[in-house]
Amino acid sequence: MDREVFLARVGRASLTSVLPDPPATPAYLADLPPADLLTLFRARAQAVNAVVHGPMSRHGAPRSVAGIAAGHHASSFLAWDYLPAPGVAAALHSSGIDRLDHDVPNNGRLEHQLAYGPVDIGVTGADAGLAESGSIVLVHGEGRPRMASLAPEVHIVLLELDVLERSLAHWAHKNPDLAGDTTNLVLVTGPSRTGDIEQQLNLGVHGPRHLHIVMIK
Amino acid sequence: MTAMADPVTFLSRAEALIGTHESEAVANGVRNFLTMRDQAVGEFAAMDSMRDRARSIRLHALRHLDRLLGRFADEVEAAGGRVHWAADAAEARDIASQILEESGARLVVKSKSMVSEEIELNQHLEQRGLEVVETDLGEFIAQLAEDTPSHIIAPVMHMTREDVGRLFADRLGADYTDDPAELNRIAREHLREIFLRADAGITGVNMAIAESGSLVLVTNEGNGRLVSTAPKTHIALMGMERIVSRWEDAAVVLETLARSATGQRLSVYTNVITGPRRPHDPDGPEALHVIVIDNGRSNVLSGRTAEILACIRCGACLNACPVFQTTGGHAYGTVYSGPMGAIVTPGLHGMGPWWDLPYASTLCGACEEVCPVRIQIPRMLLELRRQAAEQGRLPAWLQRGVSRYAGIVTDERKWSRAKRWAARLSAPLARDGWIRRLPGPGRGWTTSRDMRQPAAQSFQDWWRQNRGS
Repeated sequence: MDREVFLARVGRASLTSVLPDPPATPAYLADLPPADLLTLFRARAQAVNAVVHGPMSRHGAPRSVAGIAAGHHASSFLAWDYLPAPGVAAALHSSGIDRLDHDVPNNGRLEHQLAYGPVDIGVTGADAGLAESGSIVLVHGEGRPRMASLAPEVHIVLLELDVLERSLAHWAHKNPDLAGDTTNLVLVTGPSRTGDIEQQLNLGVHGPRHLHIVMIK
Repeated sequence: MTAMADPVTFLSRAEALIGTHESEAVANGVRNFLTMRDQAVGEFAAMDSMRDRARSIRLHALRHLDRLLGRFADEVEAAGGRVHWAADAAEARDIASQILEESGARLVVKSKSMVSEEIELNQHLEQRGLEVVETDLGEFIAQLAEDTPSHIIAPVMHMTREDVGRLFADRLGADYTDDPAELNRIAREHLREIFLRADAGITGVNMAIAESGSLVLVTNEGNGRLVSTAPKTHIALMGMERIVSRWEDAAVVLETLARSATGQRLSVYTNVITGPRRPHDPDGPEALHVIVIDNGRSNVLSGRTAEILACIRCGACLNACPVFQTTGGHAYGTVYSGPMGAIVTPGLHGMGPWWDLPYASTLCGACEEVCPVRIQIPRMLLELRRQAAEQGRLPAWLQRGVSRYAGIVTDERKWSRAKRWAARLSAPLARDGWIRRLPGPGRGWTTSRDMRQPAAQSFQDWWRQNRGS
């Protein structure tokens, strides 16, 4: 159907629409009792099965990430080009873990993607942490592939303390244009999960089974 | 009390389900969701005001739907995507299959989308020789079992782990196991390569953002992200009412969605997509198509049940509904079940065989109480009942009975006489003030509940005797 015809039909329908009046809109951001963001974030992230490390110094992060990778017997990783702590990729590399190329060209898409199949670790850097839900925010774009937090069994994300926010609503209120500024952003709240079989919690159904959040001071 | 004229009614579907292991499994699952919902809602001090906000946001969107959809389409196109407009299910299917054909697709992966079930897309694509694979674990199981989902959030709530184990052994050649973790692993391995090899991905849309042309997609498993990232073409199916003005509005609605649905604070993945991949993006689809679907929605919008279009599909009203708890979703006969479905289905598809769904409710109001956007569900159920009666859809015996009843209760003298007769006739049936079984046509009333014995003397009679003049 033509766009204008479609929209005209919707417009006509609205003329006779019976809709209740909306309630008065309260100042919703003032409702929450004050809380220590780090304590709240840690508790909420742990409640959804994420493992929280630190807070630690920027210089301690590479060793911590390499230690986590070794604990999972990793042999390959995908990483973002820019991370909140320098030297992470190098530390993984020097502990014998191969870095996979994350660029998927339009030609040869399939071959490149199949290389992701067996990847063990993905390393990313959070643009924000949401304390109320224990979520991390990943804004994708140049040098920041989506697949790094999606294809591997283990996702390690570096999160700086000063990007912690109270909740999604607070963060979106402060960043009203963010959705349109990038092709893709994702809020990640714990590792991939399902309860589809008898409501038994199972982790890692399609996305990562393990989520490690490395907090940086 | 439902139709005898129509053979496939809610009642006959429900009766076939009640007491089966399916309805028991659903009852357990639903209670679980409800407890977790109460916990999540109770702990979040801002929930009440967040719900008011969400309601305002959704009602505002419905009031300005044509303008918001126009803006949304402009923005999607500015970001390099394409928007298609489908008046009905057939047109939506044709658009989807044409996009797939033009892109040379053969293998298609899907993430859970109710609207795709509403338009029966899978059958259509399969008839055209495409291989279509559902990837949400529950939907994948339902597809393998050639069954339909029984709950909008947990599609195979009606199956046991043994059912799934046998199915995987049968259809995937896996060794039998009834360990959910192991079944999960089998599905992950089976589906991973399919994701990576797929030519196109089809998703629904939880919410669209007009101002930025963004799509919000919520999943727990990550399949929604894989479907919209790995294949070179992404097709998003969107009911035309799934829209909000701004990103900030979407965030408010998201604060209420998962808490109401499963008791999670947020779903695991909230994915916000604006256009296909841009030149510097390392991954993502090369093409993005959004199909905006009317299919009866403008008809709903034009009338007295327009408010149901504010629904955000969390499923809380299903879980809270005593009727749904007893029957499960299959009794409703379509993809939209529970109190929400009892309004949506007759709205989209006409009263036809669906006129009796609004009667599948006790009007207790539990649905409205848990609804994150406080939709006045009982009001609209009553409205649809009124319409059904006006259109003469009730069975003749019921129509006659109700008008006779109306003639009695609106005449004081007839009403007092009727009450005296009721007290006299029912006395021998009652014990300790309760009637456990009524004879004849009254039996249906007492199959699943007891009835209070009518008082020997009505209050009016008592008043006249003791206080009146």
